[in-house]
Amino acid sequence: MKKTLRMLLCIVALCMMPGLAGAGTVRIGLMCPLTGSWASEGQDMRRIVSLLAAEVNKSGGIHGSVVELVVEDDGGDPRTAALAAQKLAAAGVIAVIGTYGSAVTEASQEILNEAGILQIATGSTSVRLTEKKMPYFFRTCPRDDEQGRVAARWITEAGYRNIAVLHDNSSYARGLAEETKALLDKAGRKLVFFDALTPKERDYSAILTRLRASSPDLVFFTGYYPEAALLLRQKREMGWNVPMMGGDAVNNPDLVKIAGTASAAGFRFISPPVPADLAGERGKAFLAAYRAEYKAEPQSVWAVLAGDAFNVLVEALRRTRPAAAPAAAYLKNELGSFPGITGAFSFDIKGDRAGDLYLLYEVNAEGAFKAGP
Amino acid sequence: MLKRSGTTSGTILQRVKFPALVALTALAAGLPLTLNPYWTAVFVSIGLGALLSLSLNVILGRAGIFNMGHAAFYAVGAYVTAILNTRFQVPVLWLLPVAGAASGLCALLVARPIIHLRGDYLLIVTVGIVEIVRIALINDVGGLTGGANGIFGIARPEIFGIRIRRDIQFYYLVWGAVALTVALFSRLDRSRVGRALSCIKEDDTAAEGCGIDVARYKLLAFGLGAFWAGMAGALFAAKMTIISPGSFTFWDSVLLFAAVTLGGGSQTGAVLGAFLVFGLPEIFRDFASARMLVFGLALMAMMVVRPQGLLPPALRRYDTRFITRGERAAGDGE
Repeated sequence: MKKTLRMLLCIVALCMMPGLAGAGTVRIGLMCPLTGSWASEGQDMRRIVSLLAAEVNKSGGIHGSVVELVVEDDGGDPRTAALAAQKLAAAGVIAVIGTYGSAVTEASQEILNEAGILQIATGSTSVRLTEKKMPYFFRTCPRDDEQGRVAARWITEAGYRNIAVLHDNSSYARGLAEETKALLDKAGRKLVFFDALTPKERDYSAILTRLRASSPDLVFFTGYYPEAALLLRQKREMGWNVPMMGGDAVNNPDLVKIAGTASAAGFRFISPPVPADLAGERGKAFLAAYRAEYKAEPQSVWAVLAGDAFNVLVEALRRTRPAAAPAAAYLKNELGSFPGITGAFSFDIKGDRAGDLYLLYEVNAEGAFKAGP
Repeated sequence: MLKRSGTTSGTILQRVKFPALVALTALAAGLPLTLNPYWTAVFVSIGLGALLSLSLNVILGRAGIFNMGHAAFYAVGAYVTAILNTRFQVPVLWLLPVAGAASGLCALLVARPIIHLRGDYLLIVTVGIVEIVRIALINDVGGLTGGANGIFGIARPEIFGIRIRRDIQFYYLVWGAVALTVALFSRLDRSRVGRALSCIKEDDTAAEGCGIDVARYKLLAFGLGAFWAGMAGALFAAKMTIISPGSFTFWDSVLLFAAVTLGGGSQTGAVLGAFLVFGLPEIFRDFASARMLVFGLALMAMMVVRPQGLLPPALRRYDTRFITRGERAAGDGE
């Protein structure tokens, strides 16, 4: 009994101990879901950021001081996240990277902002996070309305004139469809068709016949891969040869399995890149380093965005001094174009990522997804 | 009428209890002045957990109804508060009874057809309820709940013109609510309802035989516990200013269930259980991804060492001399 008590006291004392920050260390916090339903994202975020932190320390640190990473688990839950943010603030970090999930990020936002800590979120796409105009808040992921913008831009650039937009009434697909429609209207393109199909049916020939009657030169389907695959197959069966494209909800290898290679070939969709598709010098170097260290592939692009956040933060701290205010000012006003792992980007005045993340994929003749330029 | 009078041992206990209570209050009031903001936030979180486990204690600890869906009622309270506050700008503290009533009503509605189920059967139904609520919230029912991202921008509560926003202020608000709850529920324990509930917990057939309307009392306990959980949900919404389905999962229900079971059924036990269940994961933070593992082991160890719970309620004591005296008096009258 006495022994257990002593042990318990020891643990408590350990936890209460104020962070022993030695001279010449810069503390950077990483908040990520190490437990809970998004644990695989969080584990990957930690692997990536600690890999990059080790690289920075090897190359001389920041103004000669060592980067010390403080990792806290937010459990993918707003309540735990608020505590994690408090804990990081108490540990005396100057900046926090993370986290995944918009609601979770939101729960930490105000706490970190009040403590004067710079925050770079990595997997929180909700529009409202940056609409609050917090001076120290940034994110390396695109916003929810970005995909519609990319889709509309690609459609107009590719020169399509009569466009059919089809969704499935889910809030995600509908949102994307409406976003794209508004932008296409603004660009003066003609929408010949705008309607929803009923998901989970086996036969879509009725809606395909209606689509065909409106004679579009491109069909944009914003829903999920099972319906997209059936549409592709039945479109081919009825001998209609119109190009079709999709949103990132079709990014699943089963698409080709259901549709068949011949029907799926030539289908295009926009999606954030799979980490293995990262192009550019920084991206390739990062992939090589990750594979060498962990003998595996990074799982998702959202975790890689934590790497981007860390790199751009280190850049800002190196260019200014290790404090939140000058670094935030630098990121907003002077960063220019930063060569990130996921491509070049900068931050706009709200703190949002400016610079493309989405890629245009095409299903090739073998049924594989190929990232287009 | 038979009234419970203070026994000799009771008065001694009360005499010891009073200074202890004063000391505890003073300690609780002074504590946040010595803590850093992180630990204050942890104590606020534990306080909210304590409110919830006290509310579940009425259902599980007192009446012995196996409810593993308590997060559902908590969610109803939090969402009612969030929706009414963000859409109609109703002050959060006014919404406390509204949130409570909404959860209580929900609980009565869902419990009415299932209350006759026993033990594990009821438990499975309540697990179903919490999942239904969570999925309904994610699916954005009626366009009100904001889907997976939840509702944001909930206003801070205001008392006498003071806007409560710092953790230290929430500490006093939440722990004040806990103290009030403990006081009220202790009164409940000593009432006719409280006695009926303990009787039902021990043996509901015997209780039925004694003329206790078992279904009615069980419903009452269910409704009351849910009412309190709804109010705790309102406070939670005000504290977080954002709520999302992620905070009301099956796992949260399990944690509350564990807190009450660990506590053993008394009010103090429920608060202690909340300390263990919501406080230990914070203490184990330094184990990073293994922290929930360590936490689970700690819970298991406690269950093995003390299966009856840490602080089971004290046995009820009655002054039998009072009864015999009464009889004698009645006999004298004849």
